[in-house]
Amino acid sequence: MRKLIAFLRRFRVFLVFVVLQLIALGSYFSLMSFPRTKFFNTANQVTGSLLSFEREVTKYVYLDEANRKLMNENKELARKIPENYISVDPKTSIIRDTIHELSFERIPATVINSSYSHKNNYFTINAGSNKGIKKKMGVISPEGVVGIVYDVSSHYAVVKSILTTSINISAFVEGSNAYGLIKYLENDPRRVNLTGVSNDIKIKKGARVFARGSGGYFPNGARIGTVEKLEPIEGKPMWDITVRLSQDMRKLRYVYVVKNIFQEELNELQDKVEELE
Amino acid sequence: MTGLPKQIGRMLLFIIAQGLIFGQLEFGWGIHPMVYPLFILMLPFDTRPVVLMVVAFFTGLGVDFFMNTFGLHASAALLIAYIRPELFRLFSPRDGYDSLKEPSMSEWGVKWFIQVAGITIVIHHVWFFLLEYFKWSAWTEILQSSILSSIVTLVIFIVIQVLFFKKPKKV
Repeated sequence: MRKLIAFLRRFRVFLVFVVLQLIALGSYFSLMSFPRTKFFNTANQVTGSLLSFEREVTKYVYLDEANRKLMNENKELARKIPENYISVDPKTSIIRDTIHELSFERIPATVINSSYSHKNNYFTINAGSNKGIKKKMGVISPEGVVGIVYDVSSHYAVVKSILTTSINISAFVEGSNAYGLIKYLENDPRRVNLTGVSNDIKIKKGARVFARGSGGYFPNGARIGTVEKLEPIEGKPMWDITVRLSQDMRKLRYVYVVKNIFQEELNELQDKVEELE
Repeated sequence: MTGLPKQIGRMLLFIIAQGLIFGQLEFGWGIHPMVYPLFILMLPFDTRPVVLMVVAFFTGLGVDFFMNTFGLHASAALLIAYIRPELFRLFSPRDGYDSLKEPSMSEWGVKWFIQVAGITIVIHHVWFFLLEYFKWSAWTEILQSSILSSIVTLVIFIVIQVLFFKKPKKV
């Protein structure tokens, strides 16, 4: 026993090093795969408020661009208002469409901290559970899908960006309706890969890629990008599809968190499928 | 300000500088400059190794809070704190270190600082990017990020040394 204590004392420095290293690396590697963060991220109050302060100071630099984007978005929205349309055929009557029901609500938020040049990128937004944001909600910008909420505190939320290896957003290609998973494989913040599409399906270059909304995180048809490059994978009957993102992740400032009103219903139903099997 | 309050103040300053300024800069080419290793490098000579590592660990954690890296910075900071005593011994001047003086460029010379800081930075960055990518097929990115970031970080270190840690005037 005394020898053991003497031994421990001699290697005390090394032991402390190993223990602390295990804590740090354990947290790093486990949190990459399981969403159980609570501690090591910007969703906490102190860093959150510091980053919002920084954001307050620097936001004026981007006002011009933000305004232009908002105007474009308004233009698109105005196109959908029925008042702006005139009836082509005067004999038809107005149909009050009650088939459609609001399914997705959008919660606006501002990005206060972001990265795009790492292998796995996250960004922090200034809206949290106080605005009804929950884990695993989809996040989109006016130009396209940008990520999924990863962790939430009362006033902030950390979003797993589309530039993350394990993002796995289900997406389909316009025209062919073939679907696969979006992954971030190359270190290029402008491009992601669409994997799992069989190479007997014809896909055109320049075709648009949309979210399939299979998990209920995104509305079906939310824009992601366009097919930029198309190559068969060697030794596999699959396409290697490079998708150019429609939202430039390097310029992300304003986003919407998508709240699916029927998310619980969807989850319940999908859980039942597993039980039945 | 001397002793403990000075070091605590410095630690917070370096964490905030890293989180709000240097962590937000995007240079491209995989460059990620990191300033907080300088704080670990400049802790007093007579800091005990265990204390040194604990302080480095919490500094890294502080940076992790900002950068959403979940413990990666803590791990890298811990590593350089672990090797610091050995590294200082390797480059010690003939009559040893005067533990009353700070480990800074003005006290121990440009050559000493570049050697010690350079090795610290390279070890820190290689460890950091190795763990960040964590696969052999990405070795070009790891190498590129490590080399370019190391150069930028070393330049920032020297600039900070020249600007903020001037030699105190002798009376």
